Amino acid sequence: MHRRMNRNQGGMTTKDLPKSISLKTIVRVWQEMAEKKGLLIIVLLFVMLSSALGIAGPYMIGHIIDGLIYESNQFQLLPSLLILLMIYFFYSLTTFLQNYWMVGIAQNTVFRLRTRLFSHLQQLPIAYFDKRQHGELMSRITNDMDNVSSTLNNSVIQIFSSILTLVGTLSVMLIMSPILTLITLIIVPLMYVGMKWITNRTGRLFKEQQRQLGQLNGFIEETVTGQKIIKTFSQEDYVQKEFEERAEKLREAGYWAQTYSGFIPKLMNMLNNLSFAIIALLGGYFAFNGWVTIGVMVAFTEYARQFTRPLNDLANQFNTILSAIAGAERVYDILDLPQEIEDEKHAQDLQKVVGKVEFHNVTFSYEKDGNTIQNASFIVQPGEMVALVGPTGAGKTTIINLLTRFYDANQGTIYIDDRPISSITRKSLRSHIGFVLQDVFLFEGTIKENIRYGRLNATDEEVYEASRKANAHSFIMRLPNGYDTVLSQDGSGISQGQKQLLSIARAILRNPSILILDEATSNIDTVTEIKIQEALHHLMKDRTTFVIAHRLNTILHADQIFVLKEGRIIERGTHASLIQQKGFYYQLTSGIHQELSS
Amino acid sequence: MKVVSFLKPYRKPMIIAWLLMLIELTVELLSPILMAKIIDEGIIPKDSRVLLTWGIVLLILSLISFASGITNSFFAAGAGQHFGYDIRKELFRKIQNLSYSTINEFSTSSFITRLTNDVTQLQNIVFMSLRIAFRAPLLVLFGTVMAFIVNWRLALIFVLSIPVIVVILIFVMKKATQLFQTLQKRLDHVNRIMRENLQGIRLIKAFYQFTFERERFKKVNKNLQDSSLKAFRFIEFTGPSILFLMNICIVLVLWFGQKELLAGHTNAGDLVAIVNYGTRITMALGMLTWIIMAFSRAKASNDRINEVLSMEDEKDAPISTKVFINEGKIEFENTSFRYPNQTFDAIRNINFSVAPKQTVAIIGATGSGKTTIFQLIPRLFNATKGKVKIDGVDVLDIPSKELRMKIGYVPQESHLFTGTIRENILWGNREASMEEIVEAAKDAQIYDTILSFPNGFDTVIGQKGVNLSGGQKQRLSIARALVRKPKILLLDDSTSALDLETERKLLKSIEKYECTLLIITQKITTAKKADYIILLDEGKLVASGTHKELQKESELYQKILCSQDAKEVLTNA
Repeated sequence: MHRRMNRNQGGMTTKDLPKSISLKTIVRVWQEMAEKKGLLIIVLLFVMLSSALGIAGPYMIGHIIDGLIYESNQFQLLPSLLILLMIYFFYSLTTFLQNYWMVGIAQNTVFRLRTRLFSHLQQLPIAYFDKRQHGELMSRITNDMDNVSSTLNNSVIQIFSSILTLVGTLSVMLIMSPILTLITLIIVPLMYVGMKWITNRTGRLFKEQQRQLGQLNGFIEETVTGQKIIKTFSQEDYVQKEFEERAEKLREAGYWAQTYSGFIPKLMNMLNNLSFAIIALLGGYFAFNGWVTIGVMVAFTEYARQFTRPLNDLANQFNTILSAIAGAERVYDILDLPQEIEDEKHAQDLQKVVGKVEFHNVTFSYEKDGNTIQNASFIVQPGEMVALVGPTGAGKTTIINLLTRFYDANQGTIYIDDRPISSITRKSLRSHIGFVLQDVFLFEGTIKENIRYGRLNATDEEVYEASRKANAHSFIMRLPNGYDTVLSQDGSGISQGQKQLLSIARAILRNPSILILDEATSNIDTVTEIKIQEALHHLMKDRTTFVIAHRLNTILHADQIFVLKEGRIIERGTHASLIQQKGFYYQLTSGIHQELSS
Repeated sequence: MKVVSFLKPYRKPMIIAWLLMLIELTVELLSPILMAKIIDEGIIPKDSRVLLTWGIVLLILSLISFASGITNSFFAAGAGQHFGYDIRKELFRKIQNLSYSTINEFSTSSFITRLTNDVTQLQNIVFMSLRIAFRAPLLVLFGTVMAFIVNWRLALIFVLSIPVIVVILIFVMKKATQLFQTLQKRLDHVNRIMRENLQGIRLIKAFYQFTFERERFKKVNKNLQDSSLKAFRFIEFTGPSILFLMNICIVLVLWFGQKELLAGHTNAGDLVAIVNYGTRITMALGMLTWIIMAFSRAKASNDRINEVLSMEDEKDAPISTKVFINEGKIEFENTSFRYPNQTFDAIRNINFSVAPKQTVAIIGATGSGKTTIFQLIPRLFNATKGKVKIDGVDVLDIPSKELRMKIGYVPQESHLFTGTIRENILWGNREASMEEIVEAAKDAQIYDTILSFPNGFDTVIGQKGVNLSGGQKQRLSIARALVRKPKILLLDDSTSALDLETERKLLKSIEKYECTLLIITQKITTAKKADYIILLDEGKLVASGTHKELQKESELYQKILCSQDAKEVLTNA
């Protein structure tokens, strides 16, 4: 079988598989659930109660039948039947209630875990997202969590009642005959070995399955989002082929995971039969010799069955349990990632900002080795406009990332209004900064909601005012529902330029002291752009503005231009003075070097 | 094509799996009889021969059952996984075949959930049916039959209860399917918010809108929790109810059993046996809760997948149509277009014609319909009125593959894919050699930049090209279009992030491709070089002609010119 597995899996050898699932995950999920300790205890009590009622039912039947047989005419059937009916009723009731509450606990746990996963993701460094496909991360919050959800619903109670039955039967067995009990228990190590063998394999396979599912999810997300390109370039067949390759990998992992985990109930069943046979043979031998009574012997065979039944029930759900653990583990993989650094303890809110920005000997690198920014020092006076110019990788974005504290400098200090930014809470710092990014982010909601994103407590009037300033008002009013127009996914339905206008309106609404423009107006026609430039100029008047410049015309008005190269500010000054210097900037702008555009 | 039909190819493994399951079940049903025999004839009379013989028989049988169980696992998992794979494949193909406007209207996150989660639900149910699902019904059937054999009058009580239970189950299934439909839909919503957050992470961080986003997520997450609670609790209610119903039957059996006993119609042993079968049936029905849940959830998923599968494919001219684009002439004849669910035309009565190898610039304000015109050419959308013709043939009559093969489209948003730079350029032409890739990169003025990366053409770029600058993305997406050697090149404001010099070089090197070039631009300097210029305003073609002509005739053009001159003066300062 092993050989076949390797052959069928093609490239997927055991070495490539993720590490097997670990017990730690189960403990963590348990702790997660234990937050609802009170309810969990009640469920536990009800499991005991329903188990007791479950035993009482057959006992009562036995009593009734005995009565019918031995007392025939004298036996008062009705009262006994009523008691039996009551037992049944309460059995159903307790079963229902325990399940009802358990579903509550389970879904609440899942809810909290999802929310935590989401919040944690928000706090991860930007670089984390650059390397991952959106769909892959989405899979964790839906597919993986979904596995956890359905397992918690059922399996917890199953495990409870299994343990209960196990303990109960075992004690009765021990009282009846310790020797026979020991013999029955012979199969336990066998079970353990068998389970372990299978789990070792399936655990990794389930993880692999979930991983492949995640990757497939990532691929789907990207290709559905990129349909425009796929269609216009007629790449449907290629994408289909790629998809099938990925889906095949998922199929392989899923196939082996399911197959192996399917062994478990069968193994249990066989061991079950085996234990019966052992008891029958050995017990028979004991009984012949008079070491145990036949009655004990017969009862024992029955108990041996009871002993393994709950294990059997559990085994039947083994595949869902395993895939849930694999899913949970993938969720914890993210939750265990370090977040962006928390605010310092003494950090305070920034109340009012004039807008002076100072970098003092700032050095920073994303990775351990190699400096992205080396010894950058500059001072920007309030209300100044600064253009950052330089080839790709020169560190323009990094300077912005440091100023906004997406990352913290390794050395040196950054001051805003002469206060080191490390003494300022991130939230208040960013509340004074407005962004217009190149990639416009619009979410599914009305236009009004999207603009208000800049400042959540803005009134409608303020929203309209900001739109007017951004020249967005007129096109919005032309839409059938005006400001209440719902932007469907990715904001389709309005043009790219209009999206940029919305994003500018958003920044204007924010009314920040420091403004960061990253190629903000590239898809806007010049007539509109001039109007916006006016608005922006108006906006920039009392604000410190950083512009990551790609086009010359945006740089011209800058009070200072910083020319970056390989992490250093190599030239600085105004456009005119830099042209005169005939240095790197001159090269860039006169088009000898092609890299200005980046 | 219905989801169920995807099971057809796996009829054989499924039947084998079922047969194996039957073997297991038979052993399971036989073993109590064997055990009774061992006890009654072996242990109690102390007959070691009987004990040994039957003990061995039991062992062999259980080995057979084990073997069939294990083998079943292979077949069941195989059928389930292959079935799931086939559905995914078909579903994905379907999405590829849908028209762009259909895809555009459908929620991306919902496509994603359907392709992964919903298919998984179906896969699970197939696997389960092949392994245990029929066990419960079979046990019920077996129990009833046995009870009938023992005493048909008492067994009638069970038989009568069965229709009631069936009715209840059908009702539960129906209702539960609805509940799970809602659940899956809410899963879509969770997916959507998550996706939006991943796409907008930069801005969310920059605006520090964590709380706002968290609240948004919490809302959809809460909705999901609520519908999960509703669905699962509804199911949990069913199990105990059915259990209670069956237990009432047992009580009734005891009640009538006494009468039968007293009347001498039955004996005590038979009564015990019937009650025994009754409890077995009850237990088997208990398993049903779980199965019903899986089935209704699968049913909901099944409906969701069928919904996609039954969507209409993009209408296309038959592939056999012998239409070829050799020239690259473009004509718009009275063309109007209105986006779905909009109340006004995006473009109205557009008329123009571009001769092969001509260059035409389209300018106009944001939202004036420039991109719409472009999207009609490769038939991303179809004109609502009028015609779009290439080489004199209506685009609707050209097979989309032929049409799009000849077009190099560079959209405004340079959508790049996760993968290396080389792979991204290859999207334009799978067969392109390395030389062709390099040539396209050079012509798109991105070659030097690529070489400056440590890994050159093998540099991996993230989703949508996150680690590239705007200008780099644009040039890469131009290279992707050039490598096709298209007859028609559509540049949708694709040079906005480029400086004039780079843009000039780029347009210069495009000349050698000898294609018809349509270019949307904001820059008059770019437009000037075109053979003629089309000026759009609010969806209407307001003027066309050369730079000089427009300068004289069009007021709007003069206005635009003015706005740019202001800048150019500065640029040349």
